[in-house]
Amino acid sequence: MNAKMKNVLLGATIVGTLILAVAGTATAWAKDTYYYIGYGLIQIVDGDSDAIVGEIPVEGWLRETDFSADDKFLYVTANRHLIHKIDLASRQVVHTIDVAGGGWDRFIFGFDLAPDGKTAWVNLLSRKTHKGDVIIGKPMLAQIDLSDGKIIRSIEVPWGSATIVSVKDSSQIYVIGKDIVKVDVAAEEMHIIGEYPMFEKQWNILPLWDNSRENNGVFIVNYYTPELMGLLSIDTTSGEITATPLEGPPVFAYSVMRSPDKKKVYAVMDELTVIDMATASYESITMVPNGTNYAINVSSDGKKIYVAGGGATTTVFDAQSQQAIKVLQMETDGMDFRRVTQHQDP
Amino acid sequence: MKTKRPIQALNEKARAIQSLADGENKSVRASQQGPPAMPVGCTTIFDTGWETNPRPTYPVGNCMSSAKDFHGCAGDCWWPAQVPDGLTNHEDFDKQCPNIARDWRVLKYD
Repeated sequence: MNAKMKNVLLGATIVGTLILAVAGTATAWAKDTYYYIGYGLIQIVDGDSDAIVGEIPVEGWLRETDFSADDKFLYVTANRHLIHKIDLASRQVVHTIDVAGGGWDRFIFGFDLAPDGKTAWVNLLSRKTHKGDVIIGKPMLAQIDLSDGKIIRSIEVPWGSATIVSVKDSSQIYVIGKDIVKVDVAAEEMHIIGEYPMFEKQWNILPLWDNSRENNGVFIVNYYTPELMGLLSIDTTSGEITATPLEGPPVFAYSVMRSPDKKKVYAVMDELTVIDMATASYESITMVPNGTNYAINVSSDGKKIYVAGGGATTTVFDAQSQQAIKVLQMETDGMDFRRVTQHQDP
Repeated sequence: MKTKRPIQALNEKARAIQSLADGENKSVRASQQGPPAMPVGCTTIFDTGWETNPRPTYPVGNCMSSAKDFHGCAGDCWWPAQVPDGLTNHEDFDKQCPNIARDWRVLKYD
């Protein structure tokens, strides 16, 4: 091969490599979009610019949320008895149901979409009046029809039950209250198959939301004993429950979220706290400049932390330095801050 | 002389409560004596929520500012004596003031 031919081949190789590199770069991306769950309103935050880029009017004060498997729809509960279905492309509510019916007021304290997309799991409290007396129904885990809100089947669960978590391909539902009750829902007749004790261990726990979707399939919440704070995690694939007590005086936190590399857990209330999972101890505590927040989320690349809800602010932190890099003034107070990530692999 | 009752029980449940109250004496029990009778609070377990606990360093006690916790305490009826309950009497109160820190002056409820 002569020198000229070698140069041509070398040039072609370089150009080809560059094309592949550019093509690879161009097709591999992840875009985060956040949904600020407010009052009568959901605001949309772009994860690249961290700017508010849209809003969705929604009736009522909003609580639990869940996304459809294809990320096209967001379901949100309102006033504890309405369920709105929101088309994220057109940014509007396309269907609303009320779980009240048959003379009963019903209140949702726990919501999870079923894999079929047509039904949902709800934890319900109920009441009605009869001849001047108030009748309180037994708390129940129910599967409801998302077209009309009617109960398809139900099972009684303990008082104090709230958040529910689907595990093992939704063949079981974990109902979190004073203890965690495991309900087998695979068969036609549901039944309780086990219990994970918390009350007798003196745990105090406030599981506000199921954040397993943004947490690589792991539900995670903080708990308190008289001495310490710990982390309770539920692997939604295996159903395994893990408790991690943390060393040191407890911090106060409403919610926690794991970093994508699983090395850190971030907690928020009045402070943003970084927890090192290798040592199960607190790494840093940083005051949130705008006060208390209920919700926390992490960007899909792990570089930014978002704290929001409670009051009408969203604060963006650099995950490495824990410096606040932006504060968004939201239109309303809020409860949760959800993330949808669109992926394109090379 | 029989004391006149200021209120009268009208339904079955009220009469049941009245009969219970008839045999009741005033009592005081320190929280340290026996298992504590904790009210249902801000958690699924019978504790009042850690945000009401004193903390050793700043900020001490409640959420900061308390306005940030108003809607969370109101809508779900966590603190029905202090804030409008969203489940029974004031389901739409949030429409008056969706942003408490900004709108609290227009908040009206009985």
